[in-house]
Amino acid sequence: MTVTFATVAVILTIVFIVITLDVRDRVRAAETDKLRVSENVFTALETKRQQDQVAAMATLAENPTLKAALDTYFTERRFSGSSDEQLRATVMGEAAKLATQTPADVLAVVENNGRIFSSAGPAASHWRLGDTVDVPRGSQATFQSVAVLPTGAFRVTGARLTFGDRVIGALVAGTNLDANYAQELSNLSTAGVVITVNNAVVARTVPENVARDLVASKLTAATATLGGEEYAIRTMLASGPARIYTLTSIDAAARSAERDALVAVGLIAFGGFILAAIGSFILARLLSEPINRVSGEIATMTNAREFGRTLELTGSSREVDALTTAFNDLMRGLSAAEAETRSAYLGAIRALAAALDARDPYTAGHSERVGTLSVMMGRMMNLEAGALEVLRLGALLHDIGKIGVADEILHKDGPLTPEEFEQIKRHPALGARILRQVPFLAPHLPIVELHHERPDGRGYPFGFRGEVIPLDARIVHVADAFDAMTSARAYRAALPASVAFAELQRFSGTQFDPACVEALLAAMPVSHDIAEPALAQLLARQMV
Amino acid sequence: MLFRVRNVVLFAAAVAGLALTIETEPSAQEAGSVRGRVSIGIPITAKRGTSTYSRSVPTVALAPESELRHVVVYVKDAPKTAVAPMRAEIRQRNENFVPRLVAVTVGSTVDFPNDDPIYHNVFSLSRAKTFDLGRFPQGKSRSELFDKPGVVKVFCQIHSHMSATVMVFDHRWFEVPDQQGMFDLPGVPPGMHQVTAFHERLGDTTQQVRIEPGRATTVDFVLPVPAQP
Repeated sequence: MTVTFATVAVILTIVFIVITLDVRDRVRAAETDKLRVSENVFTALETKRQQDQVAAMATLAENPTLKAALDTYFTERRFSGSSDEQLRATVMGEAAKLATQTPADVLAVVENNGRIFSSAGPAASHWRLGDTVDVPRGSQATFQSVAVLPTGAFRVTGARLTFGDRVIGALVAGTNLDANYAQELSNLSTAGVVITVNNAVVARTVPENVARDLVASKLTAATATLGGEEYAIRTMLASGPARIYTLTSIDAAARSAERDALVAVGLIAFGGFILAAIGSFILARLLSEPINRVSGEIATMTNAREFGRTLELTGSSREVDALTTAFNDLMRGLSAAEAETRSAYLGAIRALAAALDARDPYTAGHSERVGTLSVMMGRMMNLEAGALEVLRLGALLHDIGKIGVADEILHKDGPLTPEEFEQIKRHPALGARILRQVPFLAPHLPIVELHHERPDGRGYPFGFRGEVIPLDARIVHVADAFDAMTSARAYRAALPASVAFAELQRFSGTQFDPACVEALLAAMPVSHDIAEPALAQLLARQMV
Repeated sequence: MLFRVRNVVLFAAAVAGLALTIETEPSAQEAGSVRGRVSIGIPITAKRGTSTYSRSVPTVALAPESELRHVVVYVKDAPKTAVAPMRAEIRQRNENFVPRLVAVTVGSTVDFPNDDPIYHNVFSLSRAKTFDLGRFPQGKSRSELFDKPGVVKVFCQIHSHMSATVMVFDHRWFEVPDQQGMFDLPGVPPGMHQVTAFHERLGDTTQQVRIEPGRATTVDFVLPVPAQP
């Protein structure tokens, strides 16, 4: 799981970094274009707004009372040399009414020589009567410009007051180029605004250092670095000494868009990580874990050499299950082959043992009977099935070493000389040597090698004592002795079972293992009655 | 023969003039005259000043007469004399006052007939005569008596581009030039006088003129006055 996830995570991280770098450039280019477009749109809107204002002024300039009063006033002044202040009041009254119909800061009537005849509106105090204001002269019906007064600069929109060709003055709406106006433009354009008059900043909505850099930059390009950031700049108005710039920080715009894009990419990457983790988890459950489990089981089986067991199917992965089934089939085949081999071996050994027993008519069937007795005793002692099997085969083979003992010694009717007896005592070691050649008979080796050891240490070939002697060997020793006593010999008749039992009990603890003797007694509940037909039958059958 | 006839005519005119002068002016013997020509230096167009939106007003009919019809030449510092009332007329036609200028004597009445199929209004805020004739439709005419000397600016409350001027004089030395711009003001008392040529739109210009007894002094006017460099 970890490996899968780590791989996907590394790939995702690389993709994320590449996308991030790419996104930066794209976002920046897109933002610059967007700012240009938005500035163009705003400029167009602003131009339209100005045109509307011009039209509005042209309409206002058609006020008949104002025109009549003004014209009459000028005529009176020229011809009678004195002014009719009531006429001026009429003009001012009309102008004040008109001022309420325009959003401008000031609405003024300006004479042809530029003198302010009347002014009204919130900024009227800047336009003192009698002062001269610099508005375009001439005959064009409307005009737009910037008028610089001692107390501030005004953006003006004007319309001539005319009778036919005769111009009697101008009606001028002025907007103060102050912080309020800059803020208003800024709100409309969603951009920063800087207003300069004679290259001095009079209003700004951007930090001071940016405005200062803007003035210093002389503005030769549409973009400039101001206050350490790149700005898209547009000259919205260039009239006389006044300039209105709108400017937007490309960096700032790109920053937020970049952040948005990166957040989006980050979310995608995060989702990718999550999916990768989930995917890895599922993959692990479907493949890795079953494989690990199956391989673990195989290792366990190999170590324990229990090849008969079948592996469980995972149920979650078809591929792993197919492998497991194939493995199980293979193991079954192997087990069958091994069992076949084993039974072939066993058959051969059993034949060998039978052949051995058959060398002497008195010992015919001895090995089979010892095997049967041993298993009965083992069962009494609660040995496991595996151990019983070891016991049975070991008992069957226990005298295999006698193959190397000469027939004249084995079949001798009379008592054995010490030399001859030494020859006999060699048979456990001989048998062990034969069994060592066959690896799968290794478990039976102790029985063959040690079935003549005695608890009191007077046995052979090693003289082991008590518990040092394996239990199998002790059982086989007892069974061997019992069968030997209850079998006829050339030099004596067969002893009754009860005598044999008595003998066993007599030498229990010295020659025989007491537990094994007890087991033999328990295994044969009718042991004291030699006439018991069942045992006779059993023993007879075993002899075949 | 022809020469003689002309002399006779001249003589008769002189006698007649003399007789008139004797009647009205005790010092007729010393009177001179001012004559001359008024010329207009620029073309007067009928174009409307406010061009933001156009209204279809026929411009051909706007000024059928020569613009010289809208000029009056007068002695500015003339002494007051007795004058006979006159009757003049300013029509309202095609959203214009026609003519835009009349010169009358004190006590004269000016009629303002409306020729247009729309309502017009005639009003004035001038000190010499403040009046408002109200609104009246085509075919109607209102009149106003001008009993004080001075300049009376006349407007229409409905049509802000319309304006006219009524010049009211308390003497007889004023004249609207003929179609060639020629004028002749006879019987002016000798001495230095200010003679003014006034155009309803182009403004006015005044010249100092020395009137010689019994002689005609020639003064020419150009309107508008060329701008001084």
